[in-house]
Amino acid sequence: MTGAYGGVISPAADASARDRWRALALTDPVSRLVRNAAHAGIDDADYDLRLLALAAVDVVVGSMGFAREATLDDVVDELTGLASRMCPGRPDQARDAAQTVVRGLLNDAHDQRRFSYRFADLGAPGETVRWESYSFRLLSLREAEYGPVVVASDQAVTLFLNGLDVDLEDADRALAHVLQRQLDDRRFDAAARTAAQAERTSVGMSATLAELLDATRRDVGSHDWEQEVPERLVRARRHVEARIGEDDRLLEHVQSGLDAETSPEVRAVSGRIVDLIGRARRVHLDLERRLVGAREVFLTAQVRQRLARRRRLRMLALRDEVLVPVLALPRPVAVAVTTAFADRALGVSVPRLVRFDDMVDMLWAPPRARESAEPDVEIVPDVDEAHDVQRYPEPVVGAAREVLSAVTGGEEIRLSALLDAVPDAASVDAEIDEGEVAELVLLSALWAFAPDVVAEAEGDVAGEIDVLAGGIEARRDDRLLARSGVGGPDLLVRLRGGRVVEAADPLDDESEPVA
Amino acid sequence: MSSVAADLTQVRAAAELLGFALARRARPVEGGQYRALLDRYRSELGFKDVVDTMAEGLGLEVLGVPRSGMVLAPEPGGAFATRLADLRTTMDADDRLVFGLVLIGVAAFAYPTDADFDDPETRLVEIVRVDEFIRGSLDALGGLGGVEGSPEERARAAAQVYADLPQLITTQTGRRARGCTLKAVEEVFGWLVEQGAAREAGTLGPDTFHLTDRFRLLVADSAGGAALDALRDVRSAEVASS
Repeated sequence: MTGAYGGVISPAADASARDRWRALALTDPVSRLVRNAAHAGIDDADYDLRLLALAAVDVVVGSMGFAREATLDDVVDELTGLASRMCPGRPDQARDAAQTVVRGLLNDAHDQRRFSYRFADLGAPGETVRWESYSFRLLSLREAEYGPVVVASDQAVTLFLNGLDVDLEDADRALAHVLQRQLDDRRFDAAARTAAQAERTSVGMSATLAELLDATRRDVGSHDWEQEVPERLVRARRHVEARIGEDDRLLEHVQSGLDAETSPEVRAVSGRIVDLIGRARRVHLDLERRLVGAREVFLTAQVRQRLARRRRLRMLALRDEVLVPVLALPRPVAVAVTTAFADRALGVSVPRLVRFDDMVDMLWAPPRARESAEPDVEIVPDVDEAHDVQRYPEPVVGAAREVLSAVTGGEEIRLSALLDAVPDAASVDAEIDEGEVAELVLLSALWAFAPDVVAEAEGDVAGEIDVLAGGIEARRDDRLLARSGVGGPDLLVRLRGGRVVEAADPLDDESEPVA
Repeated sequence: MSSVAADLTQVRAAAELLGFALARRARPVEGGQYRALLDRYRSELGFKDVVDTMAEGLGLEVLGVPRSGMVLAPEPGGAFATRLADLRTTMDADDRLVFGLVLIGVAAFAYPTDADFDDPETRLVEIVRVDEFIRGSLDALGGLGGVEGSPEERARAAAQVYADLPQLITTQTGRRARGCTLKAVEEVFGWLVEQGAAREAGTLGPDTFHLTDRFRLLVADSAGGAALDALRDVRSAEVASS
């Protein structure tokens, strides 16, 4: 490596210039955030932002490598606490100060990119200067399974925890510092104590579980397997799951302390913890094996000792047993109930996933264009309505209308009387078929007696009947209608809304007129 | 895929892993079954083959396995693919153009270069910054060629709609109302949060979001396009000059 000063100052200064320059550069982001804080309304006189920056690194380093690392919220909360002690008069501003510091260390002003500085490598005298870029992070965000966590870079750890005169790029060294710091913080002791405590809990749980299972084998009713035992099993399972995960993480972390170059003290403690965790782990695994088989023991015992009863799904009163109670629940509980209910009631729902390009294509799909400019129009041949075989000829309709017009006087007229008037009305024109007129009058009266409301609403009614029957209504008469081809009681026809001459007896013959 | 037949326990475990990956709330916490299966996926080649094959059969593709869990992407038209009907149903054509533009804008803003896709650091983004970035890039989009109906033309149309919208309209209660671009960006972030592609970072102030590994992988999987490329160019220049 060419000396930074090209040997012009002193060989000693030259040799370490680059490293010392880097150490210097590493502190610059802190200075910068202090300068910029004024823009955010944070007064340097009120808060020691440098100390807050140091504290941020300390908080982060304290938990790095453990099962639960510091989340962004943890760090901001911690700094907010410190900041509010610095300026008790402005509790509202403490959080802003904490955010400013964390944002500064994340280089938020430049979208959390690396801090970048240029080092002038002077080289030998006479050579042109070579500019070297040096970029680094102090804090950065990673996504962990429980949310975004903050991690400190090796440079941040080395510089902020152990002063300036060190090799900043040595990751092993950084790890050693982290372990040393955690040892000093007595975090190892705490972790060892927790592990030992967890081991004792597991031993206790194992013993109770063994007893419980023996009792169940003898008598399935000896313990409450509906509520109490499952709860206990869940508790034990959670304990084991948590411990095994935690211990693995700690073991890995501490093991790396044995592998890296660390102080004898760290190595000794690490060794002790590795032994302790190994033993605790066996206990946890043993408990786990018992837990896995526990339910089976109960089921076997139950089948052997009792007849399995079929459980029937109860009928629910949706309003009183589901909706009303759910409305009274707090939101999180209500969501759980509603989700469970909806899942059962609505069946499987498929989670929708996205693919970036497909999503954009879908959103930006061009509006659908018509394939051909002029759609083919289907040509319907003209229909001569006058010769529609389904319709009654106009003179017939006219004659029927005349017959029915007898009701316009307001009186009720018997259908038989109307039918009697048909021959007269039909006689005015030789073309009129008397039978057709009679049929039309009869059908109109029947329609007036029992209109097909649905067909009427859908417009599915033969025009003539609608027209003729539209204004009249009919009710049953107690006499019988005696006509060829027509049977049943006679009808009393009147103008719709007209006067009722005699009260109908509801107990009358129920039979309807039949055509 | 290996030609060795998978045994049934392996198939069961693979299905379980895909089940976890599909359940948006599942998190591979230390000691959990999800975590164990993820580790197995990362370390055991045979198991990985089984999972990948099973995913393929279901119309899915494994995009990656970051620490926060397995990220899956659907085959278009498959059972798991998002359809327009899954978005806000009252969106009209302009809303959809803007939604797509903001989505691309966020991607370009957070990941201007390919190297950014390899950076596991989660990005913090703010609604106002994204809006400003998109507004500043509209000229670049307006310069794209392309015939009627082409993606470039759609990008131009989207840029036009975006430019015509006001930046902010407020409701009577002082919140952002529909019909302004800040609200449009807010809605996209809301959707990204729903998708697990972003999280709110309330501790760092309002309107701040983390983009998760899922979003990074989704964008990295994209083949790009004229609009995304144009916006990434603008953003790269912006980053380089800052």
